[in-house]
Amino acid sequence: MARLEDILEQGDVNEVHSLARVELERLFWKYKGLRKQVERDTAFWQATNDTLKNAYEKLDEQERELARAYQTIRQDLEIAQQVQHALLPEQFPDMLAQLELAVYHKQLTEVGGDYYDFFRTRAGAYAIGLFDISGHGVSAALIMAFLKAQFMQTMEQVERPKDIVERVNAASLDFLREVRRYATVNFVVFAEQSIRYVCGGGYGVLVRGGEIHNFSKGDPYIGLRRRPYTEFELSFYAGDLLALYTDGMVEGQNAAGEDYGSRRLNNLLSTHAAEPVDDILRRCVDDYREFRRSDSDDITLILLRRRVV
Amino acid sequence: MIASADDEPMVHGTLMAGFAQACINLNIVAGRQVNELLRDLDVGQWYPLRRWFQLEQLIGATYQHIDPIRLKLGIEMMTLWYHRGPGREVVRRGADFLHFQTGSTGIVSVIRGPQGLVGSFDLREFDAEAGRAVIHSTTPFHRKIECGVLIGGLLAPGDLDYVDVHNDGDPNLLVVEFH
Repeated sequence: MARLEDILEQGDVNEVHSLARVELERLFWKYKGLRKQVERDTAFWQATNDTLKNAYEKLDEQERELARAYQTIRQDLEIAQQVQHALLPEQFPDMLAQLELAVYHKQLTEVGGDYYDFFRTRAGAYAIGLFDISGHGVSAALIMAFLKAQFMQTMEQVERPKDIVERVNAASLDFLREVRRYATVNFVVFAEQSIRYVCGGGYGVLVRGGEIHNFSKGDPYIGLRRRPYTEFELSFYAGDLLALYTDGMVEGQNAAGEDYGSRRLNNLLSTHAAEPVDDILRRCVDDYREFRRSDSDDITLILLRRRVV
Repeated sequence: MIASADDEPMVHGTLMAGFAQACINLNIVAGRQVNELLRDLDVGQWYPLRRWFQLEQLIGATYQHIDPIRLKLGIEMMTLWYHRGPGREVVRRGADFLHFQTGSTGIVSVIRGPQGLVGSFDLREFDAEAGRAVIHSTTPFHRKIECGVLIGGLLAPGDLDYVDVHNDGDPNLLVVEFH
C-alpha cells in the first residue's frame, strides 16, 4: 500500500487510487487542516488590512491638511516678499549726482534677512544703512519694516549717526528681544568730504590710492544690549571707493570648505578701484561665483564712489 | 472585584514575554509600541494581571476587528513556546498538549492569586478516537487568545493535520476538534 507522504512527494495523482482507507482519511484531514489555516490567516490579514486601510485614509487626510497649510505658508511668503521688495529703497536722483552707486543684493530664500536703505538726515545729508537681520522668512520682513520705520522717525529728531543708531537700538531693544532677533548695522552719513559711520557687525572698507581702510566694527548689533555706540569719521574724497557688505559673500565657501574671505574681496576692490563701480561690482560677483560651491546666505554688496565735480 | 493589591492575580513574566514577542513577530505593533511592550519585562518576575491587560489594550486600541488577531497571537505564542522554548521537551504529540495545558504545569502555572480571580482551565471531555475535547475555562484571559493557544499547542508537534477550537456556544466552553 502506498503511503500518503510518498505520493505527495512524487506528485503523481494517479497513485491516489492505491491509498488505503486510513491514508485517504488522513488526506481528507490534511486538506481540511490547510483550508482551516487559510481561513484563519485570511481573517488575520483582513483584520490587519482594514486597519491599514484606515491608517492610509488618515494619512491621506493629513497630507491634504499639510498641503493646505503649505499653501497658506506659500501665500504668506509671497506677501512678505512683496512687502520686502517694497521696503527696499528707490534711489535719490540727487544722490546719484554726487555718488556713483552699484548694488548687488541676492536673497537666499523668498524672504531674506539682508536689508539696505537710503536716507536723508534732517539737515539734508545722504545716509545709507545696511543691516543683516537674523533669520529669514516672514519674521525678517516684519523686522525690516519695523527698523525702517524706526530709522525714519529717529532721523527727524537727531542728526549724528551715533545718536541715530543709539536711539533706534534703544527703541527696538524690547521688541527684538521679545522676538529673539537682532541685526548687524552699518550706518554711514555722507558729508562734504568725509563720511561718519557706526558699524556693529557689518563690513565696510574705504579704498583710496591703493590703500584699504577697514571699518572699525566693534559696536554692538541692534537688539542685543543697551550700550553707547562709537562714531568714526573718515575722509571721503572724489575718486574714493566705499564698499559696504554683509557676511554672506565673505563667508561663502568653496568645495574645500575655505571661506571666500574679506581679504580676497578687499584686494579685488583695491586692484580695480579706478574702474566704473558697475564693472567693479561685476568683477567681485563673478569672482565670488567662481569660488563658491553654493550660496548659503543672503548677499549684499554696495559700492559707492564720490564723483569728481 | 479586586479588593486590594494583595488580591490582584499575578501573571508570570514568561507569559508576558511570549505575548509581546508574538506581537512583534506578527508585525502587529511597531516602533514605540514595541518599546512599550518590552519595557522592564523580566521573564523571571511576576506581574500584576493589569499589566497583562495593558498589553492586550495596546493591540485592541490599534485594530478594529481584533478576534482574528487574538487567535493568531495565541497560535504564535505556543509556536514560539514549542520551537524556541521548553515545549518540545514537555509535549511529544499534539493531543498531549491538552493534558499539559489543563494540568498543574499548564496555564494555571503562569497565573496565581485568589482562586475566584485566577479561575480554572479544566479538561471536561477528551476522546482521542473521535478527535474531540472540551475545556471549561474561567480564567481572566481572553477566550480567543486561549483558542489560539490550544490550536498552536496542538499543531506544534506536527503529528496532527487538522485542529480547530471554537466557543460558539457557551463562551467558556472551548470545543476542540483534532485529527
